[in-house]
Amino acid sequence: MASLIPCPHCGRRPKEEFTIRGAALERPGPDAGQAAWMDYVYLRDNPRGAYREYWHHTSGCRRWLVVSRNTATHDVTGAEDAAAGKGGKA
Amino acid sequence: MPEIQIPAFRVASRAALGSKTALRSAGISIAALPEGHVIHVLGEAGGPDLAPLLREVTGGRPHAVRTAGPAQWFLVGDEALSAAGVAAILAALPPGAAGVDQSHGRVRIRIEGPMVERVLAKGTAADLAPAAFPVGHSTTTLTGHIAAHLTRVAEDAFELMVLRTFAESLWDDLATMSGEYVLQAADRA
Repeated sequence: MASLIPCPHCGRRPKEEFTIRGAALERPGPDAGQAAWMDYVYLRDNPRGAYREYWHHTSGCRRWLVVSRNTATHDVTGAEDAAAGKGGKA
Repeated sequence: MPEIQIPAFRVASRAALGSKTALRSAGISIAALPEGHVIHVLGEAGGPDLAPLLREVTGGRPHAVRTAGPAQWFLVGDEALSAAGVAAILAALPPGAAGVDQSHGRVRIRIEGPMVERVLAKGTAADLAPAAFPVGHSTTTLTGHIAAHLTRVAEDAFELMVLRTFAESLWDDLATMSGEYVLQAADRA
């Protein structure tokens, strides 16, 4: 598991300060149908390699981040505010 | 129906760290600060930096305005405020900012001495080097297993602000973390 996360607000912090929610997936539209929602809510890939997840900086700035990491090498390639990724304000 | 008996129990306010004796040594000192006021200010997401305006609200006292994450600040002081005093501060906040009185919810501890960075580094992974964490800088970080708001108030002095129910536990952790430097001082004496 990656141990240092570059929080865009706080700097490099250990993973113990964070809570991991899981894969950062594209949310289906409200009319996408039961199969698409079943996938979105319950089904996850388990990739070897690049992965994007929602992490919450619980013991720091308390912002939701999207952390990009590699599940094979444990490299963390980036972390951005989740609101910024959705075109919101961080 | 039996009459309800109310026991003769007087509710008294007690300082969160009232049972702790300040720790003093050449290398490290720990002291509980007065339970004054703490007001949490929340600005608009992505909005302007309100710190200069907030410093006017607090009358320019040093370290009275502390950043607490994006668009959030704490207004901190040693004097306890009346309800009217809190209301006056909330009314003086800049437009777009909301304030919440946290005075009874957060407790402050001052830790200082030449060993202060070494002591705190046992509990937090935040970079405490003066270049990365200058005087006046604040951040929230884990200290041991307790999340605390950390501010450097002088070259060799920090303040930790912690949720009230964690205060005693954090104090005990800090005392343990300081132990080796206190013992060294006692050995030399």
